[in-house]
Amino acid sequence: MTLSFVDYLILALYFVFVLGIGWLVKKRVSTSEDFLTSGRSVPVWITSLAFIAANLGAQEVIGMCASGAKYGIMTAHFYWLGAIPAMLFIGVFMMPFYYGSRARSVPEYLKLRFDEKTRTLNALTFAVMTIFSSGISMYALGLLFELVLGWSFSASVLLSAAIVLVYTFLGGLTSAIYNEVVQFFLIVLGFTPLSILAVAKAGGWRGMASHLAPVMTHTWRYIGNASQNPMGVDAFGMVAGLGFVLSFGYWCTDFLVVQRALAAHDMSAARRTPIIAAFPKMFMPFIVIVPGIAALALMKMNIGYTLPPKGASFDYDQTLTTLMAQFYPSGMLGLGLTALMASFMSGMAGNVTAFNTVFTYDIYQSYLRPNAPDQHYLWVARLTTIVGVALSVGSAYLASLYNNIMDLLQLVFSFVNAPLFATFLLGMFWKRCTGHAAFTGLLAGTAAAATTHGLTLAEGKGGWIVPLHEFPSTMAQNFWIAIFAWTICFIVTILVSLMTKRKPDSALRDLVYGLTDLKHEDVSWHQRPVTLAFIVGGLVIALNVIFW
Amino acid sequence: MSDLRVTIGLLFLLLGGILCGLGLVEPGLRAPLTEVNVNLYAGAAIVVFSGVMLWLGKRQS
Repeated sequence: MTLSFVDYLILALYFVFVLGIGWLVKKRVSTSEDFLTSGRSVPVWITSLAFIAANLGAQEVIGMCASGAKYGIMTAHFYWLGAIPAMLFIGVFMMPFYYGSRARSVPEYLKLRFDEKTRTLNALTFAVMTIFSSGISMYALGLLFELVLGWSFSASVLLSAAIVLVYTFLGGLTSAIYNEVVQFFLIVLGFTPLSILAVAKAGGWRGMASHLAPVMTHTWRYIGNASQNPMGVDAFGMVAGLGFVLSFGYWCTDFLVVQRALAAHDMSAARRTPIIAAFPKMFMPFIVIVPGIAALALMKMNIGYTLPPKGASFDYDQTLTTLMAQFYPSGMLGLGLTALMASFMSGMAGNVTAFNTVFTYDIYQSYLRPNAPDQHYLWVARLTTIVGVALSVGSAYLASLYNNIMDLLQLVFSFVNAPLFATFLLGMFWKRCTGHAAFTGLLAGTAAAATTHGLTLAEGKGGWIVPLHEFPSTMAQNFWIAIFAWTICFIVTILVSLMTKRKPDSALRDLVYGLTDLKHEDVSWHQRPVTLAFIVGGLVIALNVIFW
Repeated sequence: MSDLRVTIGLLFLLLGGILCGLGLVEPGLRAPLTEVNVNLYAGAAIVVFSGVMLWLGKRQS
């Protein structure tokens, strides 16, 4: 793939704009809260789009397109089942406690609700994980640009990191959020034409279906038995593992996304943020997954499109870029690559702004130097932004040198994350739940996850204790690891709570259901979270029925 | 900083304008698997989107 002058011009214009936004919002930053929490003043349509854009990193876009080619429309479960219900749940049920507690971060909520050790466990694992996931995504992007465009790995990694650094350093969270909105529109406008062109070429949805096995164009029909679908997952594993444990664990507890809602200007806007975000989110599969399915159909049609081979199969990660090369002429190609770059930057800026907030408030202010003047924390936050970007770049190079270490790290983090939602669910809705119990439950859940991995085997992975059971796919294994981790955490937290001393009601006000004064919101129907959630829910059910 | 919608509108007006211009100057430009003038149509759609953003932003202020 070669780029022409106009493609570079489009990319350069985008860079100028993102830096310009950083420079323009710089004036708004005078305290550490302005920098790290946007001073809780951002309009709801902006926080909503930032809420999904921060999650819409390059790995997500490239990975979902690849999964579309590999698994078909079943991949949409990651949206319709694995995201929307959790986004509605956090908006309707959890946001009153996050926002109402005035906590500046998710770990800080844990400190207020439970105790210092639970906060620290969450803050430390989150901080390390954020840096590594940002590094891994940077590595993936650098590799792809090297492969497809022939750009040097270092050049694309360093240039994109430098731009993210400049705009997050200047304008903090506000700058990151504003840019995420720009990036969201770029992703939609840059990838939609690709979806339309690829699907049209493959003869529309019916034409595609006629070239593919029926399992590729149905979401639920072949899920009764794990051996009948390419994901190797059955309905229970899918609904309980992805739809409940993993999805709620990410969308309802991960500070990267929750931070966007906390930046909203009032409680009502914070609650509506994830629910409004669910509207565009449910249609994303048509932009990122459907082109992958079309790519597979085009390959079967023998009209000159094919994926590069990889081993005995294909290099699915190149689905998106090979489609662009075949369907985008110079000009539109520049916009498509700019959209890819934008998706990478939105993901990375999300990680960096979440990292600097957790480090500054939950680690530095609570352990290293409490009670300093606010200007000191603003200075620390800015410095942490630089350190965060530098560490991300470092881990990108680490990933390029030792791929196995990164796989191991991701595995360990998946163990740590799996039980999280059990802790939050009990913490928010059961006032008897204690700090000792939350902490023990999290450790027990993580241990249960590791044990499940050690006792089961899938595609040659796991089984390092004794392989007692074999799953048809690593995806099924991951879902079941999550289910076991969640269940153990849930049970242990309840048992230990009953044995330990609970906090008095007065210390739990605005933190727990039953002790929080939930005001009736006097707003028109289209601003009510519950009404909006019902509309979203109805639309998602309709999508599932259409693609059944 | 003015309304974010105005900023977004301006960026996409510029990008859409470039694509439209390219589509008009080089109407024969094609990718291997396309038969239509992708730059012109996509550019026009983006210009329309930028118009909506600018209108929404202006109306607010």
